Amino acid sequence: MDSRGLLLLLWRRFTLRHWALAPGQSVLLVLILALGIAVYFSVRLANRAAGASFQHFTDLVAAESDWVIQAEAGDLREAVLPELARRLGSEPVTLLPVVESTATPPPSGGPETIGDRVTYRVLGIDLVGVQNLARDAAEDAQAQGWFDREAVEAPEAEAGESLFWKTLRDPTSVFISSELARRDGLTAGGILELVLNERVVALRVAGVIPEVPGQPAAPATLLVMDLPALQFWTGRTGLLSRVEFRVAKGADAGLRRAALRDRLEAWSREPWESPVDRDRDAAFAGAERWRVSSPSERREAGEVMTRAFRLNLTILSLLALLVGWYLIVQAMDGAVVRRRAEIGMLRSLGVEASTLRRAWLLESAVIGLLGGLLGALLGWAGAQVSVRVVGRTVNALYYATSVETATLSAGEWWGAIGLALASSLAAGWWPARVAARVPPVQLMARFAAASPVAWAVKHPWPGAALLVVGGVFACLGPVRFEGGVRFPAGGYLAALCWIVGAGLLGSRCLSAAARALRPLGARSALWRLGVSALVEPTGRHALATAGLVCAVAMTAGMVLLVGSFDRTMRGWIARTFQADLYLSSAGAQSASTDNRISPETWRRLAAHPGVAEFNPLRACEIRLMGASTILAGGDLAFMRRHVDLAWVEPPTDQAAFFDRAAADPATQGRGSEAEPVPVLVLASESFAERFQLRREARLELPTPAGPRLVEIAGVFADYGNERGSLVVEGRQYAAWFGTDHIASLIVKLKDPAAAERVRSEWLGEYPGLQILTNAHLRAEILRIFRQTFAITYALEAIGVVVAVIGLGMTLASVLIERRGDWTTLRALGMRRDELARVAAIEGLVVAAVGLAVGLLVSGALGWLLIRVINKQTFGWTLQFAVPVGALALLAALVLLGAGTVSYALGRWGARLPADREE
Amino acid sequence: MTTTTTMTMTTKRTRTRTVRTILDPFFTPGRIARPGARGVVLFLLAMAPVALAAADSLSGYAIPEPGVKFEFPRDHGSHPRFRVEWWYVTGHLWDEQARRYGFQATFFRTAAPHRLPEAAARGVASPNFGTDHLFLSHLALLDVASARFLHEERLHREGWAAGAATNTLHVWNGGSSLVLTQAVGLEQMHLRAAIRAEASWDLQLTAAKPLVVFGTNGVSRKGETSTAASHYLTFPRLDVSGRLTVAGTTRTVRGQAWMDHEFSSSQLSAGQSGWDWVSVQLAEGREIMAYRMRRKDGTTDPFSTLAWVGRDGHVIHQPAGAFELMPLARWKSPGSGAEYPLGLALRAQDPETGTAVEYRLIPLARDQELPGRIGDVPYWEGACRVEDVVGREVGSAFVELTGYAGDLAGRLR
Repeated sequence: MDSRGLLLLLWRRFTLRHWALAPGQSVLLVLILALGIAVYFSVRLANRAAGASFQHFTDLVAAESDWVIQAEAGDLREAVLPELARRLGSEPVTLLPVVESTATPPPSGGPETIGDRVTYRVLGIDLVGVQNLARDAAEDAQAQGWFDREAVEAPEAEAGESLFWKTLRDPTSVFISSELARRDGLTAGGILELVLNERVVALRVAGVIPEVPGQPAAPATLLVMDLPALQFWTGRTGLLSRVEFRVAKGADAGLRRAALRDRLEAWSREPWESPVDRDRDAAFAGAERWRVSSPSERREAGEVMTRAFRLNLTILSLLALLVGWYLIVQAMDGAVVRRRAEIGMLRSLGVEASTLRRAWLLESAVIGLLGGLLGALLGWAGAQVSVRVVGRTVNALYYATSVETATLSAGEWWGAIGLALASSLAAGWWPARVAARVPPVQLMARFAAASPVAWAVKHPWPGAALLVVGGVFACLGPVRFEGGVRFPAGGYLAALCWIVGAGLLGSRCLSAAARALRPLGARSALWRLGVSALVEPTGRHALATAGLVCAVAMTAGMVLLVGSFDRTMRGWIARTFQADLYLSSAGAQSASTDNRISPETWRRLAAHPGVAEFNPLRACEIRLMGASTILAGGDLAFMRRHVDLAWVEPPTDQAAFFDRAAADPATQGRGSEAEPVPVLVLASESFAERFQLRREARLELPTPAGPRLVEIAGVFADYGNERGSLVVEGRQYAAWFGTDHIASLIVKLKDPAAAERVRSEWLGEYPGLQILTNAHLRAEILRIFRQTFAITYALEAIGVVVAVIGLGMTLASVLIERRGDWTTLRALGMRRDELARVAAIEGLVVAAVGLAVGLLVSGALGWLLIRVINKQTFGWTLQFAVPVGALALLAALVLLGAGTVSYALGRWGARLPADREE
Repeated sequence: MTTTTTMTMTTKRTRTRTVRTILDPFFTPGRIARPGARGVVLFLLAMAPVALAAADSLSGYAIPEPGVKFEFPRDHGSHPRFRVEWWYVTGHLWDEQARRYGFQATFFRTAAPHRLPEAAARGVASPNFGTDHLFLSHLALLDVASARFLHEERLHREGWAAGAATNTLHVWNGGSSLVLTQAVGLEQMHLRAAIRAEASWDLQLTAAKPLVVFGTNGVSRKGETSTAASHYLTFPRLDVSGRLTVAGTTRTVRGQAWMDHEFSSSQLSAGQSGWDWVSVQLAEGREIMAYRMRRKDGTTDPFSTLAWVGRDGHVIHQPAGAFELMPLARWKSPGSGAEYPLGLALRAQDPETGTAVEYRLIPLARDQELPGRIGDVPYWEGACRVEDVVGREVGSAFVELTGYAGDLAGRLR
């Protein structure tokens, strides 16, 4: 018989027979692997979808651009267009100016939760000029145009003013995606009510955004308006978000493309041709008026923004896989032990060791393949849920994304299956080696070879060494990427070392615990029976304990992190939010909404007789050292009176700081050229951590009025975002940005009890505003914060479930091994229920030990998460808090789960016939 | 400094040129069974009211007035009070190796219909993104040796990307522009244009002959209604020199061009199916402009005309019955499927000698068809060489053929 035939024979008569004998266990094994893969895979898919959701929308309505220019801070002046047109002359380059903003449907009027309403991305483009691009892209003119009759025909089209002019001249004209048209049943002429800035505007659907060949269809959340109309509604007349450039195809396109970037960069350093204000513009001397980037660089920047967050999620998702892997190792190891008699016989009959090893690896591979296939399917289904959760977090923390589905590529599929295969082969490698290597005599004599795991469990020092190595890792700084992204690699390695180390040591506690517990129920035979099994625990018991330690430690560590976060946030909220009403546009639904409040509106509101004090807040994303961060402007005098800033590094003289910072912006920051006096700013802790800048550090800040020298006067704790922010006096901000539009208005009323009344009065007048009372705002902040941890909890819970299943599997195989003893016990008159209780006691003790050690380790892990991983990733200092209730719930759930599974298995085991093979 | 020219010449009708082809199809959506021609395109929508207005009122737009005194350079510039305006340059170029080219650069302007004050108040005024005028450019280049015909059209709203000065000639659209650089003595213009990355030219145009104003008393009547008229100014011969870049190679070129500048608020008349227009520049120094309106029944419209421009710029008109434009061959466009009469025999009476003459206008390449995507109307506008009856080359010409890609008449409702 050739070796292949033999392998097949072994597969049929050896592997499959055992599987058939214990189908439940085989299925469970595949399921566990599938679950681990599914968790990892679903998070990976969701992550990828969220990471890729930072879209360069203009590509969807016109061909892909080659370069994009935008201001380092704020908007770009429209005056750049004639200047560029003149400089470019008849160069074969097409310019596409863009204004981008956000909008949401108006609030329904009922109680609001932030982020519930969809956020639309509104693109303002020149609806006339874009058609040249569309035509260039559609060489055969088959593509549908913007003003195609079929798409646009409206019944009221009349002779006087053609549909085209009507659309172009009506500032409420909006083009929608075909998906939105289909979903909401909107047709040309239909009305779409939206909150633009703080106004509710009834937009008229002018048509459907035509598809561009080679580009995906526009997402449902994309809206397109004529550029000046969107400028008008968003109060940005004369301003552009960016200008895009498309280099004509043809000879030397690559060279022309590269040359264009060089020229754009050179021109950016030249003075403004039509100065707005000579003084302001003078500040630009030698500085860059705009930044040149490619759409792929922009997308990358979006990905970088969420990289730390996504890496953290990936690490957590690997946990379930890790626990699952533990279990497979254990199961394969158990199988070798159980089948050793047969293996010995086969070896005696002359079956080569290598053939046996291949048979084992084949078995692992089949499990891996099945688990991978199932896992990928489950993961893909799971991703459809997790992608929304991840999307919500990305929305709350980074940028507006509407990602709702995670797509699956063939590469991802094979990746998941490959990972499953690799894990199961790695798990099966040692058992296969044992089966192949150990002499038949030893096998026949039921000699159990020491696996490396068993060896590590037997000796205390591998575990201890891991703990020490982990300690060293914990002291390492983060790995820094471009764009201010940090990754706490040392922290995660420390966590891994500690978890594995504690798992190894923890299983040693099993025997000690059993010895200590045995006398407690000395009078109960069931208790003695259940506990005695653990006095000399098997390797499988040790592995089950280690799995539990791992899962419990991670989960409890996370509980500690979230608990600490929660407490810190509450404290911060209480100190920071002391005003009565918080106003913003009803469109402010995520971290990146551009909806602002116009000066007319907020000035009118601030003049309300019920208002005692107010603080108009301005904020804008700026680019600093190649990374995006936030520049905020607020009334520092108001903050001094009503915000209790939690200082990380307070200004050296607080009174002097506030006096100087709040001074007239015209006199602020002036000095001689040789000795410039910087404008004083406050930095958030995340900012200081991210840019490695401390108090008294000076930096040049890009502003629409040119670069300005600022000095960090103090660093305060802020949990609002992880990109970090700089706070400058609001009037200074307004002077730099030349706009009085604000992001939000904080109001203290003369009579705080009147908050609800004033709120409804204002809402009646301005339905496009979102007005939160103090209590509502606090609740919303906590809710959003907890929502961002939802996925983390889900991942941890899956880890615990896998660990409890692992415990069940361990018990099952132990019971099978002990079937002889149990037959004897039954013969001695023990009832099935009593045997089940014995099993439950055994399971509970293992669970209790795993839990105890896990909780102990979670303390260290919690410290690691709070002080190292979180601090390094997000730059947030948190107070340590122990959420006793949550931990107790976790303990109760673990014990309950372990007890139930063990009891059920006990009942099953009690029925096992003595001659049952497996 | 300005010069004042009173108009000297009369004609019953000037050609309506391409603008009409552009606006006509609006009235019959889906009428051209052409692959890819789907729906109505922007410019037509924009232009539609022009045609409708012809029947009743001009909705507040200026009507050409007889006896108007043109002032230059102001009147070379834009006249936004009129609804439609164009600057139309066609010409022939030769490089140092005597390689021959034909070029076209046309700048159209069209005004939006007037709005009621309430509607105007609702609108958003933006100097860089205007909503009152649209500019369309048609650019084409023929490389005779390779018979390669390049073309491009660009549409922009008035603002940063396109516009026209009102005090002098300065019209631009995208990267192309036509600017008057010298208004005293022999007018000079600078024409700059690019067709994607494939070709570009930078040309100095110098008037070799004075400006000609067509029409009676400065007004060129278009039809029965008195408002259907235009002001029609032409440079019949411009000396050209400059640089031409094709496929990355820049060459010094010289040659001759013809330029029309016409503005009106209504150009239309019903009943025609299309027209053939020619401009002939004879080597002996005279020019001929002829225009045949084709009626649906195949006959020539009485508004058709032929004009001789003498060596001194003096213009003599001949009525529809006094000349003939006969097809010599036919060519079917693979793009639009239209069948054009390529090669025209122009027969007329030479006013200098009083004898009958025949000139044959032979296309320098067959495919000089502009697909007119924005206008959705293909037309043939191409460079021709002019031969006499014995086959001697006696000049150059440009020919415009419209209404062959479907019956224009059906669109005139």
